[in-house]
Amino acid sequence: MQETGFLGTAAPRAADLTLLLEMGMGTGLLAGAWLARVGRIRFHAICQSVIVLLNLGLIVLTMFPAFHRQVLPKLPGRIGRPYYALAVTHASLGGVAELGGLYILLAVGTRLLPEKLRITRFRFWMRSLLLVWWSVLFLGMATYARWYMTWP
Amino acid sequence: MRRSVSIAVLTVALATGVGTITGGQKNILASAQEKPATVEVKIDNFSFGPATLTVPVGTSVTWTNRDDIPHTVVSTDDPKSFKSKVLDTDEKFSFTFSKAGTYPYFCSIHPKMTGKVIVQ
Repeated sequence: MQETGFLGTAAPRAADLTLLLEMGMGTGLLAGAWLARVGRIRFHAICQSVIVLLNLGLIVLTMFPAFHRQVLPKLPGRIGRPYYALAVTHASLGGVAELGGLYILLAVGTRLLPEKLRITRFRFWMRSLLLVWWSVLFLGMATYARWYMTWP
Repeated sequence: MRRSVSIAVLTVALATGVGTITGGQKNILASAQEKPATVEVKIDNFSFGPATLTVPVGTSVTWTNRDDIPHTVVSTDDPKSFKSKVLDTDEKFSFTFSKAGTYPYFCSIHPKMTGKVIVQ
């Protein structure tokens, strides 16, 4: 039996923990962006890399299993229902954000990718990804609220 | 003569009526023996209602999701006595309890939601 959550909603503990960690990571990315702005590039790189990798861990350990168990069996037939539509949008855009984050880590932080796949306008891509990441975070909070909270 | 005919008609009518009633009772009893009793549990507003249910052996319990969010019905024992798929709004899940005992269950999506079926 799954353990009950600690935020006072109907969510399991894993969902509560994921929500708090994701909110913390979203704030951490903003802090990381500020580090780049004040010229502390090395700390910026460490901060953003840790967050992208931690998010990958959360996707693999909590979010994808829940999606696979609760949403995937009902697709594509029930996609019109708001709670499935919200979860699918969050998962899709979240997947794009995570892949984008991993790509930037590889393209900017390593020399593993061939020259033509590296990013030149990296500020534009990083800022765009930050925007997408925060959109995904809001979608995640909306998904949590729809699935686990009582509404009058 | 007219009186005799009336009595005969009345006798036939009574005999037919009694036969029908007796036959009807037999049918009711037979159908009650064939089908197990069914009890319904409603899932609404993040709770099972009634949360505790006491039923005789052989009863079939049907859970109906009246909530506007998916739920499941999963027994807490291991191996699981029963486990539903994810139930959308108005979907049902039934299980027939053929052994006496206490069967606690929960919703695997919302583990705070718990219930119990006591089979006597």
